[in-house]
Amino acid sequence: MTSQSATGLNVPATSEELRRTVARMFGRSLHIRTLDTGSCASCEQEIRLLAAPHYDLHRLGFFFTPAPRHADLLMVTGPMVRAFETAARKTYDAMPDPKVVVATGACALGGVYQPDPFTHGGVGGTFPVDVWIPGCPPSPLALLQGLLVAVGRLADQVKDLDFALNRTPR
Amino acid sequence: MPLWTLRGLRRGVVTTRYPARPDPSAVLLPTPPVFRPDALTSDLADRLVAVCPSRALGRDGDVLVFDVGACTACGRCRAEAPQAAEDSGEFELAATAREHLIKRIALDGSPR
Repeated sequence: MTSQSATGLNVPATSEELRRTVARMFGRSLHIRTLDTGSCASCEQEIRLLAAPHYDLHRLGFFFTPAPRHADLLMVTGPMVRAFETAARKTYDAMPDPKVVVATGACALGGVYQPDPFTHGGVGGTFPVDVWIPGCPPSPLALLQGLLVAVGRLADQVKDLDFALNRTPR
Repeated sequence: MPLWTLRGLRRGVVTTRYPARPDPSAVLLPTPPVFRPDALTSDLADRLVAVCPSRALGRDGDVLVFDVGACTACGRCRAEAPQAAEDSGEFELAATAREHLIKRIALDGSPR
């Protein structure tokens, strides 16, 4: 199922279809815009390290861009402070379709801060999030895996883990 | 000019795959805990829920609910109950749905 966008391009409607489209379109090259919605900057340090020679993000076909209009993927960190929400929405709206949102770090996933007058306590209420990367902060290796999951080059493997040892058979 | 540009021109492949071999530094990463259901009593589960600073642990009857997405791998549950929680060593935890990160761990003695 596709819907007609204002530009006349067919835009995928479901997230599964979006994932397939993203894998086809962005599997080899993708531009990332990072968005700090009130994080402590640890996540930004780890994201910055992705471009360092040891991790070398560019060999996988990912690039950072400062312009949301050039970006295919929005990497959001922080618990979405309310003062930043308008700017965050504008960033999301400025990105061309199809676009992918990756929530990065425990704050963005709703772990550290509760919703209060200053923060939403997570980014899930502001954007439709496609991939969630846990960690405080997520290491560059975890971020790399998350980005490759986002473009469909690796599988989501955490859904098969149960985080329990020596489980008695039922 | 980065080497991969030359390699890409020669081979016609512009990007490479995810790390072909495990990264040696990965063992040093802090990772979320795994729990031993056999060692988890109801009281101990309550203590773990109380000690968790990031609301990653919760109780739902006879089940310990572990939200991997909220876990900061601080290690307080491992320090509180080394017999029931240890390092998982898992860091490749990206999920395509938030529910995939919520794990339900049945406590010892709960109805099977």
